[in-house]
Amino acid sequence: MISLSSIRDSFEGVIPSVIATADAYGMPNVSYLSHVYYVDERHVALSNQFFSKTAANVAANGLATVLVVDGFTGDQHVLDLSFERSETEGETFEHVERHLALLEQGMSHVMKLRAVDIYQVDDCRPVPAANPLELPPVHGEHRRDHLALAAELAQSLTEENDAERLLDAALEGLERLFGFRHSMVLVPDSGHSRLTTIASRGYQEFGFGAEVAFGKGVIGLAASALKPVRVTDFSRGRRYLSAVNAMGGIDEDVRIPLPALPAPLSQLAVPMLAHGRLMGVLFAEADKAFTFRYADEQALRLIAAQLALSLFWAESERERQEPETPPAAVPAKVPVDGARTISLRFYPRDASVFMDGEYLIRGVPGRLLWHMLEQYAASGRQDFLNREIRRDRSLQLPDFKDNLETRLILLRRRLDEKDGPIRITRPERGRMRLEVDGRADLSVIEE
Amino acid sequence: MLTPEVATFIEGKVMMLVATRDATHRPMIGRGSGASYDGASGLVTVLVSASQWPDAVAHAGEGLPIATTYVRAHDYRAFQIKGVITGVREADVAESERGVRYVREQLEVMMGLGVTRLQLSSTLSDRDLVAITFRPLDVFQQTPGPGAGQRFSAEADA
Repeated sequence: MISLSSIRDSFEGVIPSVIATADAYGMPNVSYLSHVYYVDERHVALSNQFFSKTAANVAANGLATVLVVDGFTGDQHVLDLSFERSETEGETFEHVERHLALLEQGMSHVMKLRAVDIYQVDDCRPVPAANPLELPPVHGEHRRDHLALAAELAQSLTEENDAERLLDAALEGLERLFGFRHSMVLVPDSGHSRLTTIASRGYQEFGFGAEVAFGKGVIGLAASALKPVRVTDFSRGRRYLSAVNAMGGIDEDVRIPLPALPAPLSQLAVPMLAHGRLMGVLFAEADKAFTFRYADEQALRLIAAQLALSLFWAESERERQEPETPPAAVPAKVPVDGARTISLRFYPRDASVFMDGEYLIRGVPGRLLWHMLEQYAASGRQDFLNREIRRDRSLQLPDFKDNLETRLILLRRRLDEKDGPIRITRPERGRMRLEVDGRADLSVIEE
Repeated sequence: MLTPEVATFIEGKVMMLVATRDATHRPMIGRGSGASYDGASGLVTVLVSASQWPDAVAHAGEGLPIATTYVRAHDYRAFQIKGVITGVREADVAESERGVRYVREQLEVMMGLGVTRLQLSSTLSDRDLVAITFRPLDVFQQTPGPGAGQRFSAEADA
């Protein structure tokens, strides 16, 4: 029997599988089946939503035969199955439910998953290509050494102790080593309701500050389930539109467009977990079907874990090494007469900041910016210690170690991308400087 | 008897699945490489590559049951026809040519939908074709959705 783990790329649904059964009198029934799910070396799962005749036949004799196809090489394997049990909860059920929910987003006929059927695999054998139309290339993406590539990237990340450079290095490495040209990292807010783009690569806009709702789209599902989510081919079953819609997640309130390919065919989102905590989501997409295979997912899990731990420790390291002494007084640059006025509005409801009428940022980064702007307006102060900000209760940081570093990166990058009159620089470790090129006109809007 | 609609459908540009079964009722899966309907006899003939699908062909014998499913790839419209095999023989010259034409046309159709030649490499085969002829007993609508699996009773000659 062929090992099921050796044909993982045949459990992707890129090319539909086939299922055949027979009724009590021996009359066969044969139909397409979108997915056969790998459970373990001796079991697969089928979602039995549509196939009433198949279900009746299996109930009669417990047998099914499926044909699975490798989405890249076209290699086919036959699996002889015996029905074992139905499950209405548990890890396999949730995995299938998540996968179906993703594929069905935006479709009118969404069917709730009632159960998954678990089958024992009695045999798995190849269907040799008797007269292949074409042979797979000897060298190619499907033969890449994922472990070696992941190790190389992980090693390069260990040499980086600056969180901001770390994020960029990871995305650069994904392109250089894996050829994944479109990628981003998003970080969660403290309430786990949305994720915000903090780093991106391969898009026309960086989209720093763009948001995705938890539970929505590939990214949101990976964050809420704390599991990798991978879609291998959005083109099958008219998925283009739903893919595009699903990407945003927060349709009704898009303030910064998420950097996104116009018609992605493959997407992969992997949660970044450290010490059991969600530090972010590593996401990649491509305009080619089946760009991300099972082995790519495993490689990215390693990278995401490395990235999460590195961020975690960068945070801790910074806390220990930051200076205690308050910044030396630096005379604020006094706006000369005639300097432009920058209109800045703060909405306490969601801590959003608008600059010259345009949305800038919200949440913790919004509160941080407003805090600095108020101090600047009151006393001309420009220099701040990370440490004092962490300890300032008025900022309502949910946890004084709650990813302040990533929030600051986000804020700084968002201001840089706006290329506007306000910037935050880092003159030295643990210190920030607010630079305001104009006269700041602050107003708080209570709603 | 098949309706003209179903007859035309199975002779058109559709992907084909074939299932036979062994004595223990363990199903055997194969793929078709072209089908035709003879209105005079009411029999369907489906071409299957014996070298690519040896198990399905080995269990195709006179008097044994067979299920065949035909799917139009661009809209998933599908029919399943079940019946009893009346004969299995090597494909003749005309049938072999039909098989070659079928593979060529289906490659065009599927590649037009973004499927690669490599992905279809062992799915479509026009070699070593056998002609499996069967008398239809039942026709089922198989298009995904609420009507999937329902007997196409008005048109079928069950």
